[in-house]
Amino acid sequence: MATYLEFIQQNEERDGVRFSWNVWPSSRLEATRMVVPLACLLTPLKERPDLPPVQYEPVLCSRPTCKAVLNPLCQVDYRAKLWACNFCFQRNQFPPAYAGISEVNQPAELMPQFSTIEYVIQRGAPSPLIFLYVVDTCLEEDDLQALKESLQMSLSLLPPDALVGLITFGRMVQVHELSCEGISKSYVFRGTKDLTAKQIQDMLGLTKPAMPMQPVRPAQPQERPSVSSRFLQPIHKIDMNLTDLLGELQRDPWPVPQGKRPLRSTGVALSIAVGLLEGTFPNTGARIMLFTGGPPTQGPGMVVGDELKVPIRSWHDIEKDNARFMKKATKHYEMLANRTAANGHCIDIYACALDQTGLLEMKCCPNLTGGYMVMGDSFNTSLFKQTFQRIFSKDFNGNFRMAFGATLEVKTSRELKVAGAIGPCVSLNVKGPCVSENELGVGGTSQWKICGLDPTTTLGIYFEVVNQHNAPIPQGGRGAIQVVTHYQHSSTQRRIRVTTVARNWADVQSQLKHIEAAFDQEAAAVLMARLGVFRTESEEGPDVLRWLDRQLIRLCQKFGQYNKEDPMSFRLSDSFSLYPQFMFHLRRSPFLQVFNNSPDESSYYRHHFARQDLTQSLIMIQPILYSYSFHGPPEPVLLDSSSILADRILLMDTFFQIVIYLGETIAQWRKAGYQDMPEYENFKHLLQAPLDDAQEILQARFPMPRYIHTEHGGSQARFLLSKVNPSQTHNNLYAWGQVSNCQEFEEGPGYFFKMLLLN
Amino acid sequence: MTYPAGRAEVEMAELYVKPGNTERGWNDPPQFSYGLQIQAGGPKRSPLTKRVAAPQDGSPRVPTSETSPGHPPMGPPPPSSKASRPPPFVGSCPPSRTEPMDSPVVESETLLEDVLRPLEQALEDCRGHIKKQVCDDISRRLALLQEQWAGGKLSTPVKKRMALLVQVLSSHQWDAADDIHRSLMVDHVTEVSQWMVGVKRLIAVKRSLFSEEAANEEKSIITAEQNQTVPGVQHDL
Repeated sequence: MATYLEFIQQNEERDGVRFSWNVWPSSRLEATRMVVPLACLLTPLKERPDLPPVQYEPVLCSRPTCKAVLNPLCQVDYRAKLWACNFCFQRNQFPPAYAGISEVNQPAELMPQFSTIEYVIQRGAPSPLIFLYVVDTCLEEDDLQALKESLQMSLSLLPPDALVGLITFGRMVQVHELSCEGISKSYVFRGTKDLTAKQIQDMLGLTKPAMPMQPVRPAQPQERPSVSSRFLQPIHKIDMNLTDLLGELQRDPWPVPQGKRPLRSTGVALSIAVGLLEGTFPNTGARIMLFTGGPPTQGPGMVVGDELKVPIRSWHDIEKDNARFMKKATKHYEMLANRTAANGHCIDIYACALDQTGLLEMKCCPNLTGGYMVMGDSFNTSLFKQTFQRIFSKDFNGNFRMAFGATLEVKTSRELKVAGAIGPCVSLNVKGPCVSENELGVGGTSQWKICGLDPTTTLGIYFEVVNQHNAPIPQGGRGAIQVVTHYQHSSTQRRIRVTTVARNWADVQSQLKHIEAAFDQEAAAVLMARLGVFRTESEEGPDVLRWLDRQLIRLCQKFGQYNKEDPMSFRLSDSFSLYPQFMFHLRRSPFLQVFNNSPDESSYYRHHFARQDLTQSLIMIQPILYSYSFHGPPEPVLLDSSSILADRILLMDTFFQIVIYLGETIAQWRKAGYQDMPEYENFKHLLQAPLDDAQEILQARFPMPRYIHTEHGGSQARFLLSKVNPSQTHNNLYAWGQVSNCQEFEEGPGYFFKMLLLN
Repeated sequence: MTYPAGRAEVEMAELYVKPGNTERGWNDPPQFSYGLQIQAGGPKRSPLTKRVAAPQDGSPRVPTSETSPGHPPMGPPPPSSKASRPPPFVGSCPPSRTEPMDSPVVESETLLEDVLRPLEQALEDCRGHIKKQVCDDISRRLALLQEQWAGGKLSTPVKKRMALLVQVLSSHQWDAADDIHRSLMVDHVTEVSQWMVGVKRLIAVKRSLFSEEAANEEKSIITAEQNQTVPGVQHDL
């Protein structure tokens, strides 16, 4: 491995882990002075086509407070058939099945290339996946038709033994009893009154006669067909009837007077869905999929009244404490989200409307459970249809990428503790020797639950170095972390993925250069960004920005070389060179700036930011910009107004949008039709090249981005212009006598640095 | 997945890109056909993930090109012979911004009978083995298919793909048939949703019946062998 970049990349490919620091500061005091905490981005179910799962159960350390999994870092005595746990140093006997192992006959879990390994658990009957559709019928006719068709299509994408159910709502909430014969029945609930889980189960006839409280265990659908199957039936039995039922769905029949919004009982509908699954299938993989075309306007969880002249809350309203329904509604959905997570289920929200739909209040539902949030303008758009299709995409083995019911546990060597996690998870409140008292993110635990996840779901895990300042570097010189993820695979098998990684400790005083060289600025930027976005939940926007700026200043002071009298002398080493730029763009990003976005939009952007892997997260922080020209192959260029040139085509990827921008000359040539002339075929190729690259991105990304094809002077060019830095100052612009081609009169990074250093 | 020869034209026609619905969604992205979506997820030919570091001296960069207003109009682009840039890599499916292409080879029109008869036959084969209600339901949907086809309500790509589906179904390629049904549901849901679920069920029923028969055959062969090798022993069949 020639460089740390290669080391970092190889480790990410193998283990799905990126650390902020790859050489760890060996003392607590020094670690805090590094500014960026020791933390990692972890993708627990990273796609590993080259990693076949092993068909046996993991071997665990016998110490009850440890229970670490046997891994390549453990010392092994092959003759005595003993292994020493690398976390607690307990000596353990190998189980009888390992009698035949030796140095030349190692089990997979001891081999270094299996630092990440997956076990398939054979115990227990597999339980089917469950999909409960909760559908808003207060939609316009063609929107409802498009949604119905998408749902019918999804029945062809679901596996035959998955269970599916349907709840529709508008002013009332209807729970449909699915039957293969005769007349379809439904249970109707008023949309104004919330019900407890027990009331819902009673009213649906789900309560079994006097049964003692049972310990929580996976539901066995075969055991109680008479109870659950009325509302949740297997696809292979019910697809034809359900297709017809969906096809016959009508718009909510209650007339909507002029100047009013439809009465939409989303809060009660979701409550009934949660209660239904709670009573019938706790602790098995299930998705509640909410499709809605407008805000909840009635009952618990309502976000706005039915008078159109009273608009839905904006950020301004929220700042002025003028959002009447927000606190109560948020509380309602938080209660539902926590119950759902406790039951091991997840909630998706598919919100398609031109106005806001209450994603701000409902965001905890996908965020705490690992469900998806999709925001579009209409169900009759390619953005919704294809994003929805991609939920059911399959991996190289023909299995769904989605996984369920994950519990993630982190173990650390003694010199480290776990401070918390940030991502689509809830705490399992498991205390232990690894848990730090200082919390970063969701802390106070070493285990979290992620009810819905896929191969790109990524958590940020934050650590605290606890080794005292004068304590010697631990023997062996390396610290270790093990992540154990139990989950339900989409094939319904239960699996365990174990990742064990180690890094060297180093004394900061004597080895600062090594530590610097092993800094991963990309991972650090994303980890700090997650911390910043996490803070926005409890702090005011400007305070978060001040915090971020302070951290950047401290980092630059620690690791920069500069002459105090001369701000222009400031230099950072290569491993830090991109970091300030990331921070500059982060503070202008929609994750930290709510200006120009509705509360729903901000919630949507933050939702996706808090779960994507490193590459996609960086794209969100600092969009990618590539330039296409006759002068050579496509090249990345600075996200700066100086990259906008007349004879270039630019492709910008912000994750949520793909923008193709034709420079002035290119646009003129295209208008003149040169691409249709055979002697200018290369111009045709030039126009096509960014389209091909854009297509590759559009074909795979979830959620599907918007697509903007624009040119110099076009109104849509503002998407590009608002993202690039204005590299000219005010004075320069006025000297040229033209209005700036950038929307914001904001200072660029050069000015920003000078201000930082003068502090 | 392998496809028998002669399907290439139909396949190519099913790898298309349509524009999004920009009336209902601003900047709605283009719509990819099922075939193209399945292809995605392979290794990218050139992932666009690189960045350029800002100059450390922090000085504003002055653009070097013609962005000042009022410059004279540019001449034509450099002609092809002087192009220093090689044409971009052309994948197996160049996207077009137009409607789905018809097959470039002129084929005879797909006949309704060629599709309906095998399906009805398949249903007959299954009749004794499934519940009457299910049978009637499938039958009803096949009638709907016939009605829509005869009434000119189905587009050419749908007809072509149905012909293909029937072909692979007859040769017991269950996965391929299933995949074609899925591709029709994804790409043409408006046209097919009412009756396609019947075809889907038919594929599933035929598949399970076929494997049941195969299993029974195997069992009877094994039992026959056992009878031969161990004479005189009672066997429960």
